[in-house]
Amino acid sequence: MSNDHGGLSTIVDHKTAASTNYDAVIVGSGISGAIAAKELSEKGFKVLILEAGPGKDLSLNGYEKYLDNFYTATSKDNNAPFPRNPNAPMPRGTDVDSLRPGEPNSDNFLVQNGPLVTDTTYCKVVGGTTMHFESKTPRMIPEDFHMKDNYDVGINWPIDYKELQPYYRTAEKEMGVSGEVASQNITGTDNYAEGYVFPMHGMPPSYLDQTVGKGLNGMKVNMKGEEHTLQVRPFPQGRNGIPNVEYKEFNDGENFVPEGAVSLHQAEIGERCQGNNNCTPICPVQAKYDARKTLVKALRTGYADLLPQTVASKVVVDDNGKVTEIEYKHYDSMESSEYESGSFKGKIFVLAANAIENARLMLASGLQSTSKLMGKNFMDHPYLLTWGLLPEVAGTMRGTVCTSGISDLRSGEFRKDHAAFAIDIHNDGWGWATGSPYTNLHDIVDNMNKYGKELRHELVNQISTQLLMAVMIELLPDPSNSITVSPDYTDRLGNMRPIVSLSIPDYTLKAVEKARQVTRQVFQRLGAEDHTSYDPLDFGYVSYNGEGYALRGGNHIAGTHIMGDDKATSVVDKYQKSWDHENLYLIGAGSMPSIGTSNTTLTLAALCFMSTKKMLEDLI
Amino acid sequence: MNAKTLEIQQFLQLSEKLTAFSEFQLQGTGQLEEYYEAVYQIIGEKNMIQLLTTFDKIQDETASDETAFDKQFRAKVLSDEKLGPITRSIIKLWFVGTWYQLPKSWNETFGLLENDKTYVISPSAYKEGLLWPTIGSHPMGAKAPGYGTWSAPPEIPAID
Repeated sequence: MSNDHGGLSTIVDHKTAASTNYDAVIVGSGISGAIAAKELSEKGFKVLILEAGPGKDLSLNGYEKYLDNFYTATSKDNNAPFPRNPNAPMPRGTDVDSLRPGEPNSDNFLVQNGPLVTDTTYCKVVGGTTMHFESKTPRMIPEDFHMKDNYDVGINWPIDYKELQPYYRTAEKEMGVSGEVASQNITGTDNYAEGYVFPMHGMPPSYLDQTVGKGLNGMKVNMKGEEHTLQVRPFPQGRNGIPNVEYKEFNDGENFVPEGAVSLHQAEIGERCQGNNNCTPICPVQAKYDARKTLVKALRTGYADLLPQTVASKVVVDDNGKVTEIEYKHYDSMESSEYESGSFKGKIFVLAANAIENARLMLASGLQSTSKLMGKNFMDHPYLLTWGLLPEVAGTMRGTVCTSGISDLRSGEFRKDHAAFAIDIHNDGWGWATGSPYTNLHDIVDNMNKYGKELRHELVNQISTQLLMAVMIELLPDPSNSITVSPDYTDRLGNMRPIVSLSIPDYTLKAVEKARQVTRQVFQRLGAEDHTSYDPLDFGYVSYNGEGYALRGGNHIAGTHIMGDDKATSVVDKYQKSWDHENLYLIGAGSMPSIGTSNTTLTLAALCFMSTKKMLEDLI
Repeated sequence: MNAKTLEIQQFLQLSEKLTAFSEFQLQGTGQLEEYYEAVYQIIGEKNMIQLLTTFDKIQDETASDETAFDKQFRAKVLSDEKLGPITRSIIKLWFVGTWYQLPKSWNETFGLLENDKTYVISPSAYKEGLLWPTIGSHPMGAKAPGYGTWSAPPEIPAID
């Protein structure tokens, strides 16, 4: 064992791990795996955490390297800070291309079977996708858990909001949420415990939010005959702000202490957001939550071993369906295709590798589950981007990536007819839609032929007035949207790659149409120039009702091993335990039977805390 | 003053015209030498000298007459088949720290340049991009202004 990480015996070598009997073998070091590792190791259970990607980043130096990668990357996409790794490849938004007719596009890691191509991404490094996530943390709303009962669409969850509520609080503490409960009263009912406050006060809304709010608040929208009044509301975020003293009541009488940067030596940064406007793809000061903050708590117990650069390649089961071991491939270098293989043994096994990778691993192991739903019901939030120029300078390009948005259309009877949606106001301007501010600079220099003073004036005119509204739209579970595998498509280590099949049903397309209409009305009300346009050649182009739209992936992958009440209609139970394999848990957003209009991380974290209770019962 | 120091001085004066940031502000980025050296390595000595002498001559001829400068600068540099694309890449370099490869048409006329590819010069080049102070902001992921500052109106610097 090496001792690289601040005196923690953490990084284990694969041969030692293979000859150890663990209480739990956890696949994935993202937020789900980190929560499981922490909860189990804190109770004295010996856990192994496998990470397919590299793990240098548990030191401040490793993290700073990511940051330099980001600074010098010509494309600042979600995975720009992280190295390309053919031994454990990950999707990159910049790799996406349109389909060619009649065949899946296998040019890049995610094999795209269409009809819609997705640019959704995730991250294979220690800390998982939380390394580049935006860390917005709205809870789901109670009605999201009963879509079938309430609106006769989708699937009911086997649990309701109330059952998950205490775990939401645990997750909000773990992720260090800044927010104001009052702003989250969307359904008009009291969805928070009496007197509850978030651990930290809300992030101040950006000047852009205030500018938009001034013109927009009170705007009425007609949703299938129901009138909804819009207002700009701040979002809760997993990002360090100012601790709320009233939180003591929910923290055993103690003041909340923000978790700063993860480091082997004392590093006094990250305890408060500094406004780097770069939550995605990397927070330079680590004020944003990432799963390494949870992971180090596990490692400090002395009961957790971390093993990076080790890809789980097969789940092996006995005749009764019990998991006996997980086979792996360990590589020493990302530059070489050489690897060593072996297997790990434990009492329980926990797949925490995200919705695509959990399903990929199970299917590659020949384990479809009795329900045959492994890999089915793939979900992600399609995003519709709309963008315009405000009539006044709004100071765009400042703040966290997103501080506020419009949440009033997340709930209502209209959900019988079409999907709900939520709108983000992007403090980073048109970047996501157009590549701004770089594209503005090019246009002003190359086409408008400006330099010097005129160039500078034009930059202010074109950038400081930008308003991007990104609309997150609900997608319901549908078995035909799926992750599958085939021996025809493998990566460099011979592991089968995920094949994505995705189409957008009318239920969601109707909401796309409505969302475009609402954003047009917002621009009209604000006196903003609407610059939105969608290219028919765009990989995410869809047509509906005579109009075309370009959709983007939300990186909120879910649904591939949904939970339910019985083994015929679901893959896992409400504790995310496999119906078919008594000592196997599949945890993360893959278990979610619906995703509503919330970023998935907080909810999946809450579910993981709930699952660990059951895991502890299994182990005792 | 040796030849190179003189050229860097001319490059600085050219950059002042291109960006409308003062010599003082440009020096303050700490990027001047790195940019001069990078551009020199990309376009070569001959092209660099041609650009700087052309600029210098226009400066001399137009003195402090901005309108006359603009007219001549557009005629002899920005619309010049060789110097125009180089100059536009230098403008972008100052604003975002990235050298953008010259257009294909330039290569077809003047040949390929071995070091001419699109790249971010260095981490500090990214952080010192002038675009960000122009719009009263900071480069994404660096030079953070501090908690809550984003709530106030932006301070967009006046251009003198």
